[in-house]
Amino acid sequence: MAFQALKLHNDDNVAPMVVEGEQGAIITVQTPEGSLPLALVSRVPYCHKAALRPIEAGEIIVKYGKPIGRATTAIPAGAHVHVTNTEGMRGRGDLAKGGGN
Amino acid sequence: MEFYGYPRPQDQFGARNHVLVIPCTRVCNIAASRITQYVYGTTTVITTGEIGRTSKDRERLARLFIGLAQNPNTYATIVLGARKGFGYKEVEPVRIAEEIATAGKPVLVLTVEEAGGLERLVEQGIEAARRFVADASKVRRQLVPVSYLTIGVKCGLSDGTSGIAGNPAFGNATDRLIAAGGTAIFSETVEIIGAEHDLAARCVDPRDAARLLEMAVQTEEAAKATGEDIRTINPLPSNIAAGLSTLEEKSLGAIAKAGTMPIQGVLEYACRPKKRGLHFMDGWMSSYSLPMSLAAAGCQVTIYQLGGEDLPSNDPPMLAVNTSVVAPLMMITGNPRTAAKAPRSIDFSSGKIITGEWSVSQAGEELFQKIVSVASGELVKGETIRYADPLEPFFLGPVF
Repeated sequence: MAFQALKLHNDDNVAPMVVEGEQGAIITVQTPEGSLPLALVSRVPYCHKAALRPIEAGEIIVKYGKPIGRATTAIPAGAHVHVTNTEGMRGRGDLAKGGGN
Repeated sequence: MEFYGYPRPQDQFGARNHVLVIPCTRVCNIAASRITQYVYGTTTVITTGEIGRTSKDRERLARLFIGLAQNPNTYATIVLGARKGFGYKEVEPVRIAEEIATAGKPVLVLTVEEAGGLERLVEQGIEAARRFVADASKVRRQLVPVSYLTIGVKCGLSDGTSGIAGNPAFGNATDRLIAAGGTAIFSETVEIIGAEHDLAARCVDPRDAARLLEMAVQTEEAAKATGEDIRTINPLPSNIAAGLSTLEEKSLGAIAKAGTMPIQGVLEYACRPKKRGLHFMDGWMSSYSLPMSLAAAGCQVTIYQLGGEDLPSNDPPMLAVNTSVVAPLMMITGNPRTAAKAPRSIDFSSGKIITGEWSVSQAGEELFQKIVSVASGELVKGETIRYADPLEPFFLGPVF
């Protein structure tokens, strides 16, 4: 296969893998404007997302050109972006008044 | 493009030719179950029923029953009740039958009281159902334009392929059907959260846009009122294991199934579209609930678009079997691994998008052809099994 991850929109800072991504691999990311190399700094499973560039804590995670959540820690380029470092911003009953328990 | 459909009154065409047995009070579930086990070509809708529910929820149940009977796939309906005038007025058997009859199709009311007992009701129901099935078999399919077709979709077991392959391929097929004058309905109100503004901007009527945004707000407020992070409810553990991190991510992938056409209408639960084209319907995403609800809104074919990466590795159970009652429930995926591990269940795979062999448009064209073939009589894999999962209407609650 000519590519291992897909950047779906120019504004995206993450790209889903279309194969298993091994730590240390240099992969090819297909983008709307050609392809880019990316070094994976952690294992990124099939279907999961890799960071396309360094993302700061609190920065918005963008996929499909839209916000899908917020980084809870700094995420280096090529790292696995998932629930351990990303939180949703919608439907957060736990943050609403009287939330918890 | 055309499909072979069963002609019905009022310029409608069915993709199937079922006789439907409705237990309009749940005390008749046992009779409906026995009649449909006995008679070929029949189907039924067994639910937890009306008891202890609000009038709004009883009305939703009635709408579900009436909609399934009025679906073009239904040839005739037998309504089972305890007694004429019995119980809550919303699901009273004569009321249900009278509303069904406005579609111009055969409908018969049988009650325990008039039959002279529950087992006599089963006998009468079997006799009537066998007569209806024989009559139904005399109807011949005719070649008609696909503009007579309404399809409904839900997505499920979403993974990283859903938003890239499975849902975009379905969206492309939807665009093709709508360009040909047909109708498609998508739903799952919780999964428009994060994508609601994009969808509202596609509504042709500003009142529909406002109602769609209101549905999203109501659902999000209800989620917040639980005091829980919605991520502990939806996305599901399977979605998270398969790479989806937040509800917004799931929603943005999910709405790809709605294609790119303008939204002609926003429908309340289990209500039929008043015109052709793309529609959104308020609905609960459960695969035991939404397929039959789409069928009640008039869909002759329902489609379950699944990711499935987190499923067991060999011949996994599907998340819903025959939950559309009168419509086929077609299983499709955009994940080539899911297609490979579930060949007995998956009807169509657009997995070649992920492997780079197909464009989304090629996949959409292939899928559109497959949907038209199913509408014309090709059985989906689930239809070859004589089993249906339990059914859950989308009730608002609370219960008392």
